[in-house]
Amino acid sequence: MSALLELDGVGISFGGLRAVDDLSFTVNEGQIVGLIGPNGAGKTTVFNMITGVYKPGAGAIRWQGNDITGAKPARIATLGLRRTFQTIRLFTEMSVFENVRAGYHLAARQRWWQGLLALPAQRGEEAELAARTHDILRRLDLESVADAPATALPYGVQRRVELARTLAGQPKLIILDEPAAGLNDAESAALNDTIFMIRETGVTILLVEHDMNVVMQVSDHIVVINFGRKIAEGNAVSIRADPAVIEAYLGREDDEAAAA
Amino acid sequence: MRRFKLDGLKLGALLWAAGLALPFALDSSWVSIAAFFAIYAITALSEDVILGRAGMFDMGHAVYFGIGAYVTAILNTTLNVPILLTLPLAMLLAAAAGALLSAPLIRLRGDYLLVATIGFNAIFVLAMQNNPGGITGGSDGITGIGVPSLFGLQLESQSAMFWLDWALLGLVLLVMRNLDTCEFGRALRYLKQDELAASTLGVDARKVKTLAFALGAALAGLAGTLFAVQLSTVSPSSFVFTESVTLFAIVIVGGQGSIPGVLLGTALMFVVPQIFRSLAEYRYFVFGIAMIAVMVLRPQGLLPRKRSAA
Ligand SMILES: Nc1ncnc2c1ncn2[C@@H]1O[C@H](COP(=O)(O)OP(=O)(O)O)[C@@H](O)[C@H]1O
Ligand SMILES: [Mg+2]
Repeated sequence: MSALLELDGVGISFGGLRAVDDLSFTVNEGQIVGLIGPNGAGKTTVFNMITGVYKPGAGAIRWQGNDITGAKPARIATLGLRRTFQTIRLFTEMSVFENVRAGYHLAARQRWWQGLLALPAQRGEEAELAARTHDILRRLDLESVADAPATALPYGVQRRVELARTLAGQPKLIILDEPAAGLNDAESAALNDTIFMIRETGVTILLVEHDMNVVMQVSDHIVVINFGRKIAEGNAVSIRADPAVIEAYLGREDDEAAAA
Repeated sequence: MRRFKLDGLKLGALLWAAGLALPFALDSSWVSIAAFFAIYAITALSEDVILGRAGMFDMGHAVYFGIGAYVTAILNTTLNVPILLTLPLAMLLAAAAGALLSAPLIRLRGDYLLVATIGFNAIFVLAMQNNPGGITGGSDGITGIGVPSLFGLQLESQSAMFWLDWALLGLVLLVMRNLDTCEFGRALRYLKQDELAASTLGVDARKVKTLAFALGAALAGLAGTLFAVQLSTVSPSSFVFTESVTLFAIVIVGGQGSIPGVLLGTALMFVVPQIFRSLAEYRYFVFGIAMIAVMVLRPQGLLPRKRSAA
């Protein structure tokens, strides 16, 4: 197993707040890695640093051994690293088809002037990418809603559309930010199946959930953070028994109970 | 879906072909109005590339229109360059200006970009008035611009000029339609709707936006050449800030990213005022009210862009 993504002492501050501090972990090829931690622990911030949305203030991020610290999101995308967002970010004025087609942006080889002139090669590529978009829609059971406005659909379906869009990029690694958030039980069970199906196709997955149970079910390896720092790492069994993890989650529930 | 799109194209082609007959049906002053419609339609469509498709608040678009007009006027009157040879140069210079001016601003939020582009327009008009190097003719502008000739044929009559304008409008319409169905045009829509999501899909925002500015400016430059020929004179007053406001309003009122919408907007803003000329000052009042009404009742524009499946 080779390391696909490595975080090495990564940190970032917002004002005085150290949102992520000296965080290191590795995602190996073919794994499903879960990143968990209470709300506000810094999980989304970690994803934003990996995908170039934020620039880390300290440490290094490596992709297949190459330093990609501080690279811009569009460059990160060219590496085969795709993400979803905690708050679903579909293109609101577009159909499901158009949203998923957007995932093929980098697959399109046409130059802008070929497009403006509608040259045969460009038209051919459009037809090919449309066909590939329909393939993915079928695979994720979205063909029946292909023409529907994306944001008019139920949450669970929108999540699937966002997933389909990341898969269109033929990623090596996809990172999913709380994909189960806002889903009902049936929808999140279906989501778990989809995640497994994606892994079957050879895609590595880094998954954030603040719900421990979901992550425990699907992850090969789990990293736990609290207040921006790693507090534990290992498989589901060892994590479940880890005193620091229990403390972090129980401690949080105590706080909530105290606040209530 | 596919059949409908073809029908839309056919209808457009039919209307355009019917338009070719206008000089046989109208007297020369109306043919001139039709020619101005074609010229302003190209300009408004070029603003739509930047504002309607890419969502960048360009409130100084008359600058690129003006650059095209001045390039043709200067080259033709001082160096005797044939009009149709000045046309690619006008487009190229306008595109370069669009790319260069927008480069430092492209990351700005909409409201800041808007104010900065207003600044460009003010500077451009001032520069033309000040007659730098004695080449722009100051406030009076440049007169005596020649007529275009095509295959040795002088396009002197108003009808001939109209056909030239109409033919180029047809080409621009085809380009705009192709923009809808190519990766570059789609990338503009991604950026307009969600720049962060677009960038994580690999859309290079800086490159795509700069290209949009250059393309929009180039098409405005093309319209500028036609404008200079139609009037046979150019002066700063044709490219003032209020012209940019009108172009901006056409796109918003007509429907962003919608070809029929922008054409309808152009007709309402430039042709209808000619019809109601007698009402003089009142027409702006009526327009003001109409614009407010459209924005309140139909904020997506009169003929909004259709969502397409494939
Ligand atoms: N852009 C930002 N500016 C300021 N603070 C931020 C920003 N992004 C995240 N934070 C802060 O960093 C901390 C971690 O947030 P986040 O990564 O969203 O947590 P999680 O995803 O684990 O719930 C929070 O205190 C949050 O308020
Ligand atoms: Mg989060």
